[in-house]
Amino acid sequence: MSCLIVQSDKTLLLEIDHEQAGECRRAIAPFAELERAPEHVHTYRITPLALWNARAAGHDAEQVVDALIRFSKFPVPHSLLVDIAETMGRYGRLKLVGDPRNGLLLESSDRAVLEEVVRAKKLKGMLGERLSEDSVSVHPSERGNLKQALLKIGWPAEDLAGYVDGEKHPIDLADGDWDLRGYQREAAESFHAGGSGVVVLPCGAGKTIVGAAAMAMTGKTTLILVTNTVSVHQWKSELLRRTSLTEDEIGEYSGTKKEIRPVTIATYQVMASRRKGVYTHLELFDARDWGLVVYDEVHLLPAPIFRMTADLQARRRLGLTATLVREDGREGDVFSLIGPKRYDAPWKDMENQGWIAPADCVEVRVDLTESERLAYATAEPEDRYRFCASTESKTSVVREIVDRHPEDQVLVIGSYIDQLDELGERLGAPVIKGETRNKERERLYDAFRSGELRTLVVSKVANFSIDLPEAGVAVQVSGSFGSRQEEAQRLGRVLRPKTDGRTARFYAVVARDTLDQDYAAHRQRFLAEQGYAYRIADAGDLLAGEEI
Amino acid sequence: MTHNARPESSSDSPDGSTSGRPPTFTSWLRSRSDEELTALLRGRPDLGRPIPVDIGALAHRATSRNATLRALERLDRFTLQVLESVVALGDDRLSEPVGALPSDLAHGLGFTPAGVLGTEPLDAALDALRSLALIWPDQGRLRPVQVLRELLPHPARLGPPARVPLAALPHGTVERLADDLVPHSTAGSAVESVATVLSDPDRVRALVEQVDASAHRLLDSLTWGPPNGTVTDARREVSLATASSPVDSLIARGLLLPTGDDTLTLPREVGLFLRSGTLFQDVGSSPPGFDGRSVDPDTISRAAAGQAFVVLRAVEELLERWSQEPAAVLRNGGLGVRDLRRAAQAMDTDDTTAALFLETARAAGLLATDDRLSGEWLPTREYDLWRESPPERRWSRLVRAWVDSDRVPSLAGAQDSGGRSYNVLGPGLARPAAPQVRHDVLSELASAVPGTAPETDSLKARLAWRYPRRQTPLYTELVDATVAEAAVLGLTAMGALAAHTRPWLSGDEDASSALLATELPQPLDYVLVQGDMTAVAPGPLVTQLARELALTADVESTGGATVYRFTESSVRRALDAGRGVADLTAMLERHSRTPLPQALRYLISDVGRRHGRLRAGSAASYLRCDEPALLTELVGDRRATDLDLVLLAPTVVVSGLTRAALMERLDRLGYHPVAERGDGTIRLSRPEVRRAEPDVLPVSEHSSDPELARAAVRALRAGDEATNVARVPVELPESDSPAARANALAEVLERVLADERRVWIGYTDTDGRQVSRIVVPTRVDGGFLTAYDTTRDAVHRFALHRVTGVAELSPDS
Repeated sequence: MSCLIVQSDKTLLLEIDHEQAGECRRAIAPFAELERAPEHVHTYRITPLALWNARAAGHDAEQVVDALIRFSKFPVPHSLLVDIAETMGRYGRLKLVGDPRNGLLLESSDRAVLEEVVRAKKLKGMLGERLSEDSVSVHPSERGNLKQALLKIGWPAEDLAGYVDGEKHPIDLADGDWDLRGYQREAAESFHAGGSGVVVLPCGAGKTIVGAAAMAMTGKTTLILVTNTVSVHQWKSELLRRTSLTEDEIGEYSGTKKEIRPVTIATYQVMASRRKGVYTHLELFDARDWGLVVYDEVHLLPAPIFRMTADLQARRRLGLTATLVREDGREGDVFSLIGPKRYDAPWKDMENQGWIAPADCVEVRVDLTESERLAYATAEPEDRYRFCASTESKTSVVREIVDRHPEDQVLVIGSYIDQLDELGERLGAPVIKGETRNKERERLYDAFRSGELRTLVVSKVANFSIDLPEAGVAVQVSGSFGSRQEEAQRLGRVLRPKTDGRTARFYAVVARDTLDQDYAAHRQRFLAEQGYAYRIADAGDLLAGEEI
Repeated sequence: MTHNARPESSSDSPDGSTSGRPPTFTSWLRSRSDEELTALLRGRPDLGRPIPVDIGALAHRATSRNATLRALERLDRFTLQVLESVVALGDDRLSEPVGALPSDLAHGLGFTPAGVLGTEPLDAALDALRSLALIWPDQGRLRPVQVLRELLPHPARLGPPARVPLAALPHGTVERLADDLVPHSTAGSAVESVATVLSDPDRVRALVEQVDASAHRLLDSLTWGPPNGTVTDARREVSLATASSPVDSLIARGLLLPTGDDTLTLPREVGLFLRSGTLFQDVGSSPPGFDGRSVDPDTISRAAAGQAFVVLRAVEELLERWSQEPAAVLRNGGLGVRDLRRAAQAMDTDDTTAALFLETARAAGLLATDDRLSGEWLPTREYDLWRESPPERRWSRLVRAWVDSDRVPSLAGAQDSGGRSYNVLGPGLARPAAPQVRHDVLSELASAVPGTAPETDSLKARLAWRYPRRQTPLYTELVDATVAEAAVLGLTAMGALAAHTRPWLSGDEDASSALLATELPQPLDYVLVQGDMTAVAPGPLVTQLARELALTADVESTGGATVYRFTESSVRRALDAGRGVADLTAMLERHSRTPLPQALRYLISDVGRRHGRLRAGSAASYLRCDEPALLTELVGDRRATDLDLVLLAPTVVVSGLTRAALMERLDRLGYHPVAERGDGTIRLSRPEVRRAEPDVLPVSEHSSDPELARAAVRALRAGDEATNVARVPVELPESDSPAARANALAEVLERVLADERRVWIGYTDTDGRQVSRIVVPTRVDGGFLTAYDTTRDAVHRFALHRVTGVAELSPDS
């Protein structure tokens, strides 16, 4: 009798207060995905993909069954164990191997499986000539698509074809006033051992450094894909600080500059831009013999980049993210195209170890005035969210919150420009939005970092990758509907550990009994599942001066 | 019958004395001790049902064909071989002395007293056969009960005793054979003298040595059976002198005897000689071993218990659901495919398993149809009692029902000969052999060492050894189904029997329950409520709490634990069911081991705040008035109590009556209301100018459809013929008794029916009119005449009691 409960939908419930919880977590982590991590019971899920990844990492069905039986509080249904053994048994029947004569081959020791695969409709056009009873040739460019399609029909291929070496380019981690943290080293090593994969770490836990460490271990020319230009600059300065790379070795490939250097940082936007239906910057992928491709914020990967990535299966790939939740449900594609999850740490664990700042999340509920209620009721359906999210009543609440934190750096984050402009005016703070020039943005961020500027109003351009270490309070006034990862990323802006160890505050200002409140509930799900419990406060109490 | 067969006297003398008379089966049975008879009735329970009146009746029953067949089914391969040996050697149609000598049996089966095993297995098998009263001792020899001669016609694949085919041969043929073999016989008959020769091994040897090599090869091919060979003209006339071919030479010496026009049979005596007394080439006195891997017995028990828990949860989940939204009963009494699929989803499983669970629940009496004609599948009252019992008892009851049920759920979805597929819970799934197979499989698995998980093939091989007489394709199919179902129901895991199943099989349910209870999660009365709006019940919940939570929250996942998610709509559901905000919070506080998150309290109170703010009802009309006093007066008016008035607001009253009715009543009470339109303006009533609807004019008689007209004429003619046709009335008895009259009528009509003639009938139709019809009867049954009515050109049914008369049509009409 122990701390794990196996559910019939193949989720595992782990009672974390149990004394064996730690041991159990280590035993099940290789084959189950952490899905939710609230206060008392964490939920893991056993998926076919996770089981196959476990096989790829050298675990067998017996170990999995053993772990389940050993830690399970209740007897595990026989049928579930059989199912697990069967699923794991499907891995490795097919192998992708490099062949000196024919290039890439799909081989099988089980003819029936190969027959099934060759006849599968979904694989039409991906397979070449049948070379023998046990092998079929595969065009190298189809390697990614084929692997993905095979996963979908339930016969995952073991990819033994390896990676191209890529152009050598030694990179070392720089000495200085910093050390690689344990988990960062572990993440980089586990990536390096696997060759390709995704590292999931909370915002503020130093994913860039994991990237730098991975580059140092690989020692090859590297292409880094990031979300926006500010992020390009941040990566560049971070690499200059943390590695032996010099200014000349790092190229910037964005809307304005098109440099190709041994380490090149490009934006998704530029890669995905098309002229007359043609991706004009596709040649960047072939511009050098890249030994490593890094995808920053991999949860944002746009569809064209997915397709390009399918062609890059021979190169090592590293994905970095804090929140692998996509409202479009394409998390699975990230794993099959970039690689399996190589490292994952629950947010609260990182907080307990002090790597990210503890945070206190408060949902402030604002009542609409009578006239606002009426206007809301009669608004056009497509304007309803905008109306309730940017309601006038929120402004005074935001003011009150900002006034209550005179010592803190405060970020006010929202989605609607009119609302932000008005807030900027009322708070006497500058506003960064889509039309703000990059230079101006960086000037304002620098002023904020240095403490010269205490309050900053930002639109969703600051959702990701903006490093503002001293921001201690964030006030969210509106968002992109029910986006869970946006909420988490915004919280991430205040999670850098503070020099004095202060607790960060995250306020979500929400209009009561409107769509705003419904969306807020959905947005908070990811964080709630990570163990961040929102407190609810009433705006009336707040304005009346009550402590919250 | 052969002439020296002894009666197997069940018609024994009433006093049962055996002195001076040859011993009989019945007298032997009578001499058995009470313990031995008890063992017999336990070994062959069908003999005791109903209890026979005396030993004679018992002997009669024990030697009857069906009872003996059932006894044979229980024998394993070795015991059956021993029995066949006794039948082969102890046949009373062989030469005297009758019965098999134990030493011959030991020799025939390859046992030597000095051998490694000794004759122990043989003795044990003989004991078993004796105790089942299939063989009985007679002066130091063993004799089979006589019916076995027919049931085992070729024991040990040997032919019949020579007397049998000889007796069937024409007298002349046997005479010639006897003259050739024993020229100067002293035996009473030719058959006897030939049979005596053949039963003497030395003389058979002499005969065999006379034939040539190709005849030897023929004999060799028949030695180990089957003992029959096919030739053309088996009944040919040959003698030693005329024999030309090898076959001829064997026939002429009686080494092969004709048993059909083209069949020659090796007589048992000759066969035994050729085998030099050995009966079987391959005697296995112990069952084949189990092949299989070894598994930790604890792991097996835990996995099986886990499965047992799944069964309970699935059945409860489904029956809870069906108590609110029952599934419909098909016309054939089963469950529709779509309902099955839905049930499978509810139980988190596939269709096959769902079918098993449903059939098992029904067999256990937890699920039944209600009494109505187009019924629904509902949990029974038993179900409520069952739910109150502890989980291990619940399991025990389910699997007991499964073992004893003759229904085979895995057949659901298969098609009958007409191409219609069988429905779960519907007809066609019963297989009388099923309980026996389940019992066989489980007890065979129980014979494996704990911790061995036998392969199914090796299990089948063992079953084939254990019950050779039961092996049929259906049996094998049922074994496969049983193995699969036993695993699903938690009796086995990984192919091996779970620890809790062993005592259960031997009927010790208490011991079984005690073992299972240690593995099964016991019901809890608490949950863990978390900040992400979920509640986790870390084990099964007590029924009441489970129902309450299922009402308040959506079930997100089930299994060892249950995960509930609170949402706005789930909380609203609870409020709709009459729970208050305070009730819900108090219920959760009482049962949560963790503090209730603030967000959940807010959710409940938010939903509660908005719940029931708008109320809807129905009314047929309203009254409004700017003076509240008038409405109060009206509502209080005693004469107006039947107006169904409700004061909604000081100035509004609604009524269940329609506006017209309400106004009329109020007018009479002296209130005189004014009607209002939907938009609130006054509707003025002024006398309306009345108009009538135009009459529907009859269709002009000139424009008649020719087809209609022709049909009318046909009907006329036919009716005419019916009334006026020349006819000869058939005399019917005057109606003293309606039954006698109806019988006579039916007889007459049947005669007409047989001749395929037309006949006139007078008939009182449903409106009481006397009508005439000319009909060609097609069927007379159940008090009805079905006939082709030439008058109306259609087939009709006529009630015989309304037929007033029958008349034959005269031939010229």
